[in-house]
Amino acid sequence: MESKEKKWTIILNPLLALIFGLTVGAIFLIFTKKNPFQVYLLILQGSLGSKYFISETLIKATPLILAGLGLAVGFRGGLFNIGAEGQLLVGAFIAALVGFKASHLPPLFHILLALGAACLGGALWAALAGWLKAKRGVHEVISTIMLNYIAIYITNYLVRGPFKSGYLPKTPLILSSAKLPLLLPNTRLSIGIVLALTLAYLMYRLLEQTVFGYELKAVGFNSQAAEYAGINQIRMIILTMGLSGALAGLAGGVEILGLHHRFYGQFSPGYGFDSIAVALLGKNNPLGVVFAALLFAAMRTGAMYMQRIMQVSTDIVLILQAAIIFFIAIEFSFKFWMTQRRKV
Amino acid sequence: MKLRNIFIFGLVVILILVFAGIGLAIDKVKVIMVTDTAGLGDKSFNDSVWAGIEKAKKDLGIEAKVIESREMADYVPNLTGAIKDGANIVIGVGYLMIDALAEVAPKYPDTKFIFIDAAVDSPNVAGCIFNEQEIGFLSGAFMGMMTKTGTVGWVGGMFIPPVERFEVGVRAGLLTVNALCNTDVEIKIGYVGSFEDVPKAKSMTLTQMGQGADIVFAGGGTNTLGIFEAAKEKGEGFYAIGVDQDQDYIQPGSILTSAMKRVDVAVYKLIEDYIKEEFKGGIHSMGLEGDFLSLSPMNYTKHLVPYHVFGVLEALREAVVKGKIKLPTSQDELKEFKAPVSLVF
Repeated sequence: MESKEKKWTIILNPLLALIFGLTVGAIFLIFTKKNPFQVYLLILQGSLGSKYFISETLIKATPLILAGLGLAVGFRGGLFNIGAEGQLLVGAFIAALVGFKASHLPPLFHILLALGAACLGGALWAALAGWLKAKRGVHEVISTIMLNYIAIYITNYLVRGPFKSGYLPKTPLILSSAKLPLLLPNTRLSIGIVLALTLAYLMYRLLEQTVFGYELKAVGFNSQAAEYAGINQIRMIILTMGLSGALAGLAGGVEILGLHHRFYGQFSPGYGFDSIAVALLGKNNPLGVVFAALLFAAMRTGAMYMQRIMQVSTDIVLILQAAIIFFIAIEFSFKFWMTQRRKV
Repeated sequence: MKLRNIFIFGLVVILILVFAGIGLAIDKVKVIMVTDTAGLGDKSFNDSVWAGIEKAKKDLGIEAKVIESREMADYVPNLTGAIKDGANIVIGVGYLMIDALAEVAPKYPDTKFIFIDAAVDSPNVAGCIFNEQEIGFLSGAFMGMMTKTGTVGWVGGMFIPPVERFEVGVRAGLLTVNALCNTDVEIKIGYVGSFEDVPKAKSMTLTQMGQGADIVFAGGGTNTLGIFEAAKEKGEGFYAIGVDQDQDYIQPGSILTSAMKRVDVAVYKLIEDYIKEEFKGGIHSMGLEGDFLSLSPMNYTKHLVPYHVFGVLEALREAVVKGKIKLPTSQDELKEFKAPVSLVF
């Protein structure tokens, strides 16, 4: 009975947040004398209205799914990894480096090598914060934020200095053997999305059906109890952080190999930070993350189309996002209020 | 019979309306601007381009729209979207958009593209390249005539071609003034290594000013804010030269003048070309001629400038426009630069 109710609220709560968020957005739109229904309709059309728009939505969702999965895994393990942006940049840069440096490789091997290197880079970058926490008790929020800056400045230096091509802050193009194949012809959609969805499923299996997943969640629930139960906390913290970073690094690698084909100084608009919201909205559940990432990506892709037609700034979508996250956050107090009332 | 008359009358009316509609649609040239991720309100290229489009909207009666990009991944879909919306001219802003433009433009040969500060190898793309050396030259000459200490400074962002052209222009201007007025003005050269390092730009400027430079040229980016800060901190007798836009207002009195790249004028001219059916792809060199480059009107500092200085600047401008002075565009060419010894050409 109780678990049935819980399942129901898992879907209901984000849905309520979405509806509240849209309402808040509508109020803003009415203030600017725009018809909210028209705006929302255009956002819907521009994100799912045709094969082209769907492909663009999936392109935008790919890095959010991957990095969001990474964060969700970390959160489940009780680690608030704010460093996805840095891990993503490190992964992206390494993928680009392997992409244009390693020549004469067969395509499949080249891609696997580049993506593997991206994962490893992201994992090590994050594990550094995990190690600091496990060994020295440095809070991961502080260390990952600081590591973000270090990653941003290092990659910026590398792309403006030793690895720039021409006089712009970008690396040379990756070789064609490292480019991810396209999923749909005449679009920019690569097989990166398939990879992201597969990993979402694997993460779900990992968390729900393996010993490692169980241990990870146990540490997340109550680390001292887990330690008492014989789980090696230090090992778990470093591994969880590493896995979290590997997924974020992969997000960067897929973005480079699948879409940009070279590393640009400013290619990421903050996917790492957006994925925090994605993980929260998805309730740290891998399948929830997929839906949350798709929602964010659809809103952004749709907003571009809406902007073209109505000349309304795409900032409206940021307001929507913020409102949705806000309502997700206060939903806890909402739940609390409901149970209190029932007791009375 | 009567019904048929009504039917024919109705048909004629509809046809007239349709043709009138098509006529109107053909009349208005549609210009769509795609911003880079900085968007409108950046007080830089995006705003300058938009200012040029707004002017064209008022004077030439074009239809204008803007698409703001949120992230780099938006460049290709936004450029394509602008074309799908029926743009006759698409204007791209931001040097990192160049790859996206090079990908999209060749696929749509009927649409014209305008790009600032770089060229793309496609006949439907007009790339505006500014002859920075020309305005650098005037600024350098101006600094040479205005310095009281006999030393001036240059704090550049990154050593990339447009900035290099600026720098060698400034140095050529100084050499010219030295030759004309028999002075020996020196220049301190410094590069920040980035365009967005305000504190470093400031400390570099303070160092140069400590070494005797009383006028420092702010070579680009948000660095300029740090350079202006330094000039203000040093107080009376120390000045900066603004760049790209009329920046004199940012710190009234501390900024002697600004070396302006009139992106708005360039955009306006290319739109006008299109309307006159004279649009040409390829590289468009924008120089002092046509006022694509000019010094700011010096709204806050005019009273500091002796009258004869304006006379010399005007003469030098004339000489550059008429091709009487050949300006260097790189360090190597600077070595061979021969400064004129008289203002009579």
